[in-house]
Amino acid sequence: MTTELSVARGRGAEPRPPRRDDNDDIGPGKLSLRYRLNRLDVKVSPYLYIAPFFVLFAVVGLFPLLYTAYISLFEWELGADEQPFIGIENYTALLADSQFWNAMVNTFSIFAISTFPQVVIAVLLAALLNTALRGRTGWRMGVLLPYVASLVALTIIFGDLFGVQYGTINNVIEFFGFDRIDWQAERWWSHVAIATMVNWRWTGYNALIVLAAMQAIPRDVYEAAWVDGASKVRQFLSITLPMLRPTLIFVIVTSTIGGLQIFTEPLLFSPSAGANGGATNQYQTVVLYMYQAGFQSQDLGYASAMAWVLFIVIIAIAGINFLLTRRLASSGEA
Amino acid sequence: MRYRRAGLAKVLACTAVLAAVATACGSGGSGTSPDGKVELTIATFNEFGYEELLKEYEAANPNVKVTQRKTGQAAPHHQNLFTKLGAGSGLADVEAVEEGFLSQVMAKSGQFENLKEIGPKDVREDRWLQWKVDAVTTKDDKLIGYGTDIGPLAMCYRKDMLEAAGLPSDAEGVKALFATWDSYFQAGDTYVQKTGKPWFDSAAQIFNPMHNQEDTGYFDRDDKLVIETNGDKKIFDQVTGAVARGQSAKLSAWSPEWQKGFKESAFATKTCPSWMLGVIEGNAGPEHKGKWAVTAAFPGGGGNWGGSFLTVPKQGKNKAEAAKLAAWLTAPEQQIKAFKAKGTFPSQTEALISPELLNQTSEYFGGEKVGMLFSEQANKVAAAQYKGPKDGEIQDNVVSPALTSVEQGTSPEEAWKQVIEGAKKAAK
Amino acid sequence: MATITDRPAPTATGNGPAKRKRSKAVSLSERRPGFTVYGILIAFILGSAFPFYWSFLVASHDDATFTADAPLLPGGRFFVNAGRVLDTIPFWKALGNSVIVSGTVTISVVVLSTLAGFAFAKLRFKGRGPLMVFVVATLAVPTQLGIIPLYMVMAEYGWSGTLGAVIVPNLVTAFGVFWMRQYIADAVPDELIEAARMDGCSMIRTFWHVCLPAVRPAAAMLGIFTFMMSWNDFLWPLIVLNADNPTMQVALEKLQSGYYVDKTLVLAGTTMATVPILIVFLVLGRQIVAGIMQGAVKG
Repeated sequence: MTTELSVARGRGAEPRPPRRDDNDDIGPGKLSLRYRLNRLDVKVSPYLYIAPFFVLFAVVGLFPLLYTAYISLFEWELGADEQPFIGIENYTALLADSQFWNAMVNTFSIFAISTFPQVVIAVLLAALLNTALRGRTGWRMGVLLPYVASLVALTIIFGDLFGVQYGTINNVIEFFGFDRIDWQAERWWSHVAIATMVNWRWTGYNALIVLAAMQAIPRDVYEAAWVDGASKVRQFLSITLPMLRPTLIFVIVTSTIGGLQIFTEPLLFSPSAGANGGATNQYQTVVLYMYQAGFQSQDLGYASAMAWVLFIVIIAIAGINFLLTRRLASSGEA
Repeated sequence: MRYRRAGLAKVLACTAVLAAVATACGSGGSGTSPDGKVELTIATFNEFGYEELLKEYEAANPNVKVTQRKTGQAAPHHQNLFTKLGAGSGLADVEAVEEGFLSQVMAKSGQFENLKEIGPKDVREDRWLQWKVDAVTTKDDKLIGYGTDIGPLAMCYRKDMLEAAGLPSDAEGVKALFATWDSYFQAGDTYVQKTGKPWFDSAAQIFNPMHNQEDTGYFDRDDKLVIETNGDKKIFDQVTGAVARGQSAKLSAWSPEWQKGFKESAFATKTCPSWMLGVIEGNAGPEHKGKWAVTAAFPGGGGNWGGSFLTVPKQGKNKAEAAKLAAWLTAPEQQIKAFKAKGTFPSQTEALISPELLNQTSEYFGGEKVGMLFSEQANKVAAAQYKGPKDGEIQDNVVSPALTSVEQGTSPEEAWKQVIEGAKKAAK
Repeated sequence: MATITDRPAPTATGNGPAKRKRSKAVSLSERRPGFTVYGILIAFILGSAFPFYWSFLVASHDDATFTADAPLLPGGRFFVNAGRVLDTIPFWKALGNSVIVSGTVTISVVVLSTLAGFAFAKLRFKGRGPLMVFVVATLAVPTQLGIIPLYMVMAEYGWSGTLGAVIVPNLVTAFGVFWMRQYIADAVPDELIEAARMDGCSMIRTFWHVCLPAVRPAAAMLGIFTFMMSWNDFLWPLIVLNADNPTMQVALEKLQSGYYVDKTLVLAGTTMATVPILIVFLVLGRQIVAGIMQGAVKG
C-alpha cells in the first residue's frame, strides 16, 4: 500500500505542478481557466461516473419496470387475444387472496430462519479467516465453493439429504432413536430444510464480504487496544464490529432484499411439484407464487400486481432493517 | 503489473464486443438468407429424433435451410414458448407443444396458424389416430398442430413381488387383476395384506389415467367447470380410499425419492405409458432386469399420457413453408424413422402397423413385444376427452397436490374442498 | 479545495494505508490460530466441497454401477463420460461463449461499479442521497417477470440471438455499485483523496491512482461474484440466445433431455463446466490475498 501511494502521488504531480505553486508561476488568466476546468471536473465527474448505471437502467431496466406496473392494471393473460383494463382489481383480489398471505408468511418465516443465523455465522467465520492461517487463499476460496456449485447437482444432493423415506438426514435421526421428519409435509420442517439450503449456499459468500471489510481495518487500531490490555472478545466487540458498519449494512440490506425474493431454493426443494411449493403450498414463497401465477397460470397482470406489492414490502422492510442495523452497529462504538 | 492487466482486460473487452457484433451480423431472424434460401427454425425439447430427418429434408428441398433449436426438458421449452408468445416475437417457425401444455396453447389458438388453411392440401386428417387430431382441433374447427408421438398406456408390474404375495404374475393371470379399477384396488388390498408393502407409487399417478378415461374432464364443451358434477369425486374417493388402506408408496412422481423407490422395490405396479419403460429401466437399474413386466391389460381399457404436436405460430415469417416442413416431419415414414432413432411412439395410423414398430421387443421387460403391445393400446384409446383452457393447471397445481396432501395426512374431505376451491380459482 | 470530501469516515480517519506501519510487535490476532480454528474451518470446507466431490464421484462411474450401489470412491470412467458430454453438446463453443460473456460482464461490472461507488462514497454532488437510494431500490424489484418486457426490448434492438443480449443488461449492477460504495466509504481515507487533489490530480486520476489500488480486494471479490453469477445464469440466456450459439448452462441443460436422466452424464457435464470457474477462483483468489496482504505482518 505504501509504495503504491507514493507512486500515485508522484505520477499525479508529474504532468502539471501542484496547484499551490500556480500563483507564482502562471498568470491570472491561465489560473482562471484551469480553475474553471477544475470546477467543471468537480461538478461533472460525479455524474459521469454514475451515468453508466443510470443509462443502462434506462435502457434495459426501466421499460420492464414500467411495463410490469402498466399491465398490473389489466387482466393480462399471456398471449391472449384480449387484455381488458380492470384498474386496481388485481390489487384488491391479491389482498383478499389467502394463498398470497400464506406465501407472505412462508417468505418471512424462511427469511427469518435463514438470514439472521447466516449473518452471525458469516461474521464469526470471517473472524476465523482473518487469523494468520497457513494457506489463506485456499481457506478463503474454500468457503465460497457452495456459491459455484451447479443447481442441478444441488437439486439431486438436497433431494438425497432431505428425502422423507430414504433421506440421509432421516436415516441419521432414526439411528439415534428419534422419529423421522416429514420434510415435505410439515410446514415448519420444510422451512427449516429450505433455510438450511439457503444458509449453505450463502454463508461463505457473506463471510468473504465481511472478511474484505475486516482486512480494511487498520492494524494499529488493534495494536493500541492490545497495548491497553483489551481482550480479543472485547477487541472484536468494540473495534471490529463498529468498523464493519458499512459492510454489515450492506450485507443485511442485500440479504433482506434477496431473502424476501427467495425463489430458487423452494423451487429446487420440490423438483417434481413445480412452483406449487408443497402439496398445500406450505413452503410456497411470494416470488414462487408470482412465478406460478405469471408463467403457469399465465395471469401476467395478477403476477405483476404481486411483483409491485412485494417490491413495496421489501423496500419497507429493508428501510427498517437499515435503520436498525445502523443503531446496532454504532452502539458498540461508545 | 497493473498496466499489463488493464491491457489484457481491454483486449478481452474489445474481443467480446467484436464477437457480439459479429454474431449480430451473422444471424438475423428467420426469413430469407442472402443466398435466397428459405430459412426455417424448429424448436423441440427432449428427443424428437429429427436430426437426420432435417438433413434429409434439406437435401430434398435445396432452397430450404432448417435450424433446430433443442431444449433438453419440456418445462424450459414451454417457458420459452410462453415468454415469446407474450413478447410477440422470437418464436421458431415450427414450435413443438407437449400434451400437458396443450390446453394452455389451445386457449391461445388465435396465436397459431390453422393448418387446415396453410398446410399442404394432401395432408389428410386420417393420417393420425382420430383422438390425436381431436385433441388439437379447436371448437371452431381449426387444426393448430400436427401430431408427432403419443404415450399409450399399459400397466407395468413386478413379477417377483406379485408372486411373493401369492398373486398371479404371468401375462394371462394378471389380466383378471387389471381388468377394472375395482379389481386393481382389490388386488392391491390382497397385496398389502400379504406383504405389508404398498401397491402403487403415488395417488396422482393413478388418479390421472382414471380421470382421463371419463367422458367429461374438468370442463364441459362450453368451458364450464364441472368438477363437482363429473365422475371425479368418485374417482377421488376410490383413490384416497386405497391410500388409506396403505396401497400408496407416497412417492411423488419425478422426485428423487420416487426415482430411488424403483431401486428400493417400494411398489409393485406402475401406470405405464410407452415412454415410461425407459424410465423404469434407468431408475430400477440392471439388478431388476427381468423382474419388471408390462401388460396390455389396463384397468378401464386404455388411455394416453404424453406425446406432442408441431405448431406454426402466427408471428413467424415463412408460415406456409413451416407448415410444409411440419407436415413432412409428421408423415408416417418420417415418424417411423424418428421412432427408430429415439423411440418416440408414432401417432400415425399407418406407422402403427409398420413391421419395424410391431417387431420391437424389450429385453429388460422379459423380451416382451412392446411395439405391438403399445400399438394395440393406442388403438384402444376412445375419444379424446375435451380439455378446457385451465385443464393442465388444475391437474398439476390443484388435483395432484391435493392427492399428495392426502398421502401426507390431510383428510380426504378436507383435500376435496381444497380441490374445489383451487379449481374454481384457476377457472375464474 | 477540500470541498470534494464526504463526511470524515468515522473509523478510518488518520489510519489510511499510507500510515499503516509495519509493527514490530506481533499482535494477538497475528498469532498462528490453534487446532480449533482449523478444525472448524475444515468442517466448513468439507461441507462446502461435498457437492463437487459427489458430482465427480457420480461422473466417474458407469450409470449402471452407480444406480446399483452408491460407491464412496471415484471410479475410472470420468473421461468416458466426459467424452459423451463432448459428443452430445457443443461444449467448446459454449465454453468460449461463456468466457466471453462472463469475462466481459465481470470486467465491465467491476470498473463501472467502482467508478459509481467512488462517486457515491467520496464525491459531493446534488441528488447523491436520493440517487443512491434509487440504486438500492432497484435491487428490490423481482426480476422473474421482467424477462418478457426485456425480451421485447432486445427484439426491438435486433439483439436477440446475439451474445450482446446476454452481456448488455448486466454491464453494471446495482449490487456492484452498492457494494463498492460501502467499501470505498471506509477503505479509502478522505485525506488521501484530498492530498491527491491538492497535488493537482484530476478526478479521474484521483480515482485511478488513489481509489483503485485501495479497493483491489473488494473489486476482486465483486469480480468473482459477478463472474459466478454470470456463468450460472440460465433462464435469460436460454430465452434470448439461439440454441446453436449457447452459453454453458444452456448447453448443459440439453444433457437432461429424455425422460430418464442419466446422472453420470449430467454431472460429468457440470463438473467440466465448473473447472473454468475454479481457475478464475485461483487467479482472482491470489489477487485478493495479494491486495490485502501488502503491509500486513508476516507471521
